Amino acid sequence: MDQLIAGYADSLGVWLPPLARAAKFTLNIALLSILVGAVAGLLLALLKMSRRPILRRPADLYIEVIRGTPALAQLYIVYFGLAGVGLTLDNVTAAVVALGLNAAAYMAEIYRAGIESVHAGQREAAMSLGMTPLQALRFIVLPQAWRVVLPPGANLGIAVLKDTSLASAIATPELMSRAYDLVGQTWRPMPIYIVVAIMYMAMCLPLGQLVHHLERSVKRSDVRIAKAPARWRQRVSAT
Amino acid sequence: MSGFARFWEILIAKLPVFLPYLLKGALVTLKITGATLVVAALFGLVLALMQRSRLRVLGVVSAAYIEIMRSVPVLTTLFVIYFGLASIGIQLPSFIAAVIGLGMLGAAYMAEIIRAGIEAVHHGQREAAVSLGMTPAQAMRFIVLPQALRVIVAPTANYTIGLLKDTAIVSTVAAPELLFAAKTLVSQTILPMQVYMLTAGIYLAMSWPLARAAHYLEARLSRGV
Repeated sequence: MDQLIAGYADSLGVWLPPLARAAKFTLNIALLSILVGAVAGLLLALLKMSRRPILRRPADLYIEVIRGTPALAQLYIVYFGLAGVGLTLDNVTAAVVALGLNAAAYMAEIYRAGIESVHAGQREAAMSLGMTPLQALRFIVLPQAWRVVLPPGANLGIAVLKDTSLASAIATPELMSRAYDLVGQTWRPMPIYIVVAIMYMAMCLPLGQLVHHLERSVKRSDVRIAKAPARWRQRVSAT
Repeated sequence: MSGFARFWEILIAKLPVFLPYLLKGALVTLKITGATLVVAALFGLVLALMQRSRLRVLGVVSAAYIEIMRSVPVLTTLFVIYFGLASIGIQLPSFIAAVIGLGMLGAAYMAEIIRAGIEAVHHGQREAAVSLGMTPAQAMRFIVLPQALRVIVAPTANYTIGLLKDTAIVSTVAAPELLFAAKTLVSQTILPMQVYMLTAGIYLAMSWPLARAAHYLEARLSRGV
């Protein structure tokens, strides 16, 4: 038993450094994908909320198609499919593009919910003060939508982080892919994949806590806004 | 533009070969989805009941399981079950490994859905049932769960859509489902764009009606609540 544990400890010393490097790579891919998703998602949300059908319909279609098909199939289309018609992307770019464009469809719905949660009067007031629609969006609507967008947005971020594991199917050198290589060299799948599972947990659980915290603080600030006048009155009467 | 026309030309020419082959895979996808849904619902119910148990330790175990499952990619879970167990002598067929791997994650989602459903039923219902002489298990079975069901149905439909898409992941352990069939076709024909686009179309054809149903159920059932 002692020998077994000592053997594992030795092996862990060999496995951990490459896995940790790969985990860093996973985080980088996740961050880039989330960035692509956040930017493209905002654009999609604005298109989807447009009054012109020619802008709204394609955005609608895009969101429905992306949400109705597996991320892995999308990844294959971006990597193998595009290569088949003459556009070859390397496996890191393909992963970021596919995961980012996938996240954009989900992010668009999150943005839309956030923007719709801001009272229409806010935007109208901003425009009546002479702001352009874009300025009203940038300075008035989005800063207020942010608090509704952030908790589900962070949840989506966790999902994207987990989905980066799919990129191992196109040999992007992230955590799962590196683990696969290690298993090929050592044929010790059980301990290696369990270590990898723990590493994903170590990345996702703190993010999950952050989401809980954000959700709570958004709820609390709602309460604060609702209660504010009463408290001010109390403070005034106390002094 | 000629490249675009050529793309469709090839796709249409190959359709009689591609479509039956892929549809056979789609059938396996549906089977995996169905079997996983049953496993996830049953195991999820157990997890949800554990969280409501008076034995605190059961609730803690259930909550820990749910948190862990939700923070590990399903691909990793699947590899532990398929390759990990094989290395210690338990060689599962890929279909079974797929159902267990997806079901273990699904149970975590279903537990949350079922818990929300149970909590939506007013506790007076349960108390009334118990005061009429039912055992807690009977009250759960005949009074609480039937009422919880209407809250559970719509999110379950949503989960099923996610599950249907997640089955694509089991192509990595060579379960002969839709995406695996597509990969095989691509390796034979070297027409990745046509094959994967068609595959995505088939996934869409399966998930779209489910999405409509979920939407309808949400609208329909939320009216009564």
